[in-house]
Amino acid sequence: MLVVDDEVEMQRALRAGLGYHDFDVRAVGTGEDAVREAAAWRPDVVLLDLGLPGALDGFGVLQALRPATRAAVIVVSVMPGEKDKVRALDLGADDYLVKPFGTEELVARIRAVLRRQVDVSAGEPVVRAGDLEIDLARRWVTVGGRAVHLTPTEYELLRYLALHAGKPVTHTTLLRQVWGEYAVGDKYNTRYVVAQIRKKLGDDPANPRYIVNEPGVGYRLET
Amino acid sequence: MRRLGPYAIALAGVVVITFAIALLTSSANVPGLSAVYLLLVLWLAARWGRGPAVAASIAAFLLYDYFLVPPVGTFAVRGPSEVFELVVLLVVALVTSQLAASIRRARAASEALAADSRVLYELATAALRTPQVTTALSLVCERALALPSVSRFALVAVDFTKDATALAGGELTPDEVHEAAWAYESKRSVGVTITGGAVKLMKTYPVAATAAYLTLASGVAVMRFKSDHPEPRELRRLAALIGLADLLMDRRRAALESERARGFEASDKLKAAILSSLSHELKSPIASLRAGLTALLAPQAGLRPEQQELLVDLDRQATRLDRLVGDMLALSRLEAGLELDKEPHGFAELVGTALYQLRADLKGHELAVDLPDDLPPVEVDELQVGRVLTNLVENALEWAPATGALGIGAAARDSVLEAWVENDGPEIAPVDLERIFETFWTRRARGSGLGLAICKRVVEAHGGTIRAENRRRGPRFTFTLPLAKVTAQP
Repeated sequence: MLVVDDEVEMQRALRAGLGYHDFDVRAVGTGEDAVREAAAWRPDVVLLDLGLPGALDGFGVLQALRPATRAAVIVVSVMPGEKDKVRALDLGADDYLVKPFGTEELVARIRAVLRRQVDVSAGEPVVRAGDLEIDLARRWVTVGGRAVHLTPTEYELLRYLALHAGKPVTHTTLLRQVWGEYAVGDKYNTRYVVAQIRKKLGDDPANPRYIVNEPGVGYRLET
Repeated sequence: MRRLGPYAIALAGVVVITFAIALLTSSANVPGLSAVYLLLVLWLAARWGRGPAVAASIAAFLLYDYFLVPPVGTFAVRGPSEVFELVVLLVVALVTSQLAASIRRARAASEALAADSRVLYELATAALRTPQVTTALSLVCERALALPSVSRFALVAVDFTKDATALAGGELTPDEVHEAAWAYESKRSVGVTITGGAVKLMKTYPVAATAAYLTLASGVAVMRFKSDHPEPRELRRLAALIGLADLLMDRRRAALESERARGFEASDKLKAAILSSLSHELKSPIASLRAGLTALLAPQAGLRPEQQELLVDLDRQATRLDRLVGDMLALSRLEAGLELDKEPHGFAELVGTALYQLRADLKGHELAVDLPDDLPPVEVDELQVGRVLTNLVENALEWAPATGALGIGAAARDSVLEAWVENDGPEIAPVDLERIFETFWTRRARGSGLGLAICKRVVEAHGGTIRAENRRRGPRFTFTLPLAKVTAQP
């Protein structure tokens, strides 16, 4: 696992903390080193601070990493605006974490992205979230064994969330994936469809079990 | 000398014409030559008015009679036709001179009016061109003082602070400034008014003996006259000057107010910007601190339980510090007039997001959510209102007994959504119900005193209200949010 952070204290703390949890950790301090190290060493997870000094900032690293590696990228940042989060996710980040964070939370996030990588590579046709089952091969959705009838739009949205279960999916990505590349719409569309899906799944919006809001960003299917 | 000049010319003209007629009639008898006098009379009337014209016509009458009407050398008249000729000469002279004089007067009046408006126009452009309104106002005062009947003229500005300041014109005594402020406050002019485009003096007021006060939109004009009956024309000019002063003082006040507002805004924005970069600087070491402290909590670090406990305490303190920095930044951004990203949202979803974020803290608490299914959507900034909800729920958690019950609910009331968060903890002292929302005010020794202040700011930025009250079972916080205009979607 590759830690990219310009603060030496942070590097040392993360190396120690993640080391205790049996991760093999390397740390670098600049964007250029990060790109080089990612290509040479091929880590499974990159923990990337957005606020890097020098010409190549976190977003630049993300752009450089994405076509080259399949490593999961968790973006971390001090006081990120929602726009930064959305931009990082749309550039291919797998998750984001706001600094400061505790080691336990970080480890949980790393385990989650690693698990998702395995799931995706296994091509599991059925995605489960509690008693919700989404059978991607048969386009079949059940809650506690009871079939749920969704409109094509609702199914497409749920399917996309299921394909990226556990990962925050931005409003813009959902709009593009569900309504098409050139869809002009706003967040109200996705909100409305999500509200409909929740209603059909019997998911209480005030206490969601399946689809969780990522405020200012989008939605995530809880796994 | 100047006044006698026209008469001398009139007399000379009559003599010259009489001499010319005499010359002509000596060689041939030309009747009706007396009409030539009329030309002179007409010219005199047009040039100098009635006086010289009438003088000329009388002189012409006498000279004509004496030198040209037979018997020559006497004032005696021979026949009725000569008498008639002389009378006609006199009457025509009088009437034409009268007419010409009145035309002349009308022209003089219109020229004076044109001069007045030119002066005002020049003054107005000069005044409006001067960037310094005070300089422009001094110009106006100068003009007013140049009027012969005005002995004093000064302008007093009354600002938003209700302070009266003598702006331009002559010195004012403190009493006069005080009087002016009083006149402005009570919207009552003293001694003078403006009616029909002219300054009107109140009949019983001794405007010559003491100052009069005329209230304007953003100040007072103080004036004194040399006599109790100034010329109407001057009073019209004065009214025009006061009108201009009124505009200028209004402009001055508007400029001051916008400057003041800009100052406030700039200082708020600056404060928020400084705090933003400061927060960033504060949060980075806290991040290292927390990463390091929590790294050692892993069982593999091999610390003893009491050492771990110490680390947990330290980590909690670091988290508190982080929270405090974040709250301070949030509050200063709200004070700097943060722009809200308002969109229609289901209130239940906002509650769901907040509760999800706090799910770890909520464990073990009984939570009652009372949200009707048909709750209309609200038009709010998702993140800001999310902050209100998490702050209120955290506050409720803090005061609820360890496994106490929490309640969240909402209902549509007229054009707003009324929402509440309650707990069954101890009641809030009645005197604190208001103070609880003040910045840095807290019931706990350990609280930041910012959470509820942020709630109040956010709710008010949305045009809503927030209040705290004690129910029988415990305190409740109620706030309102605007409903979305859109209710139906495809």
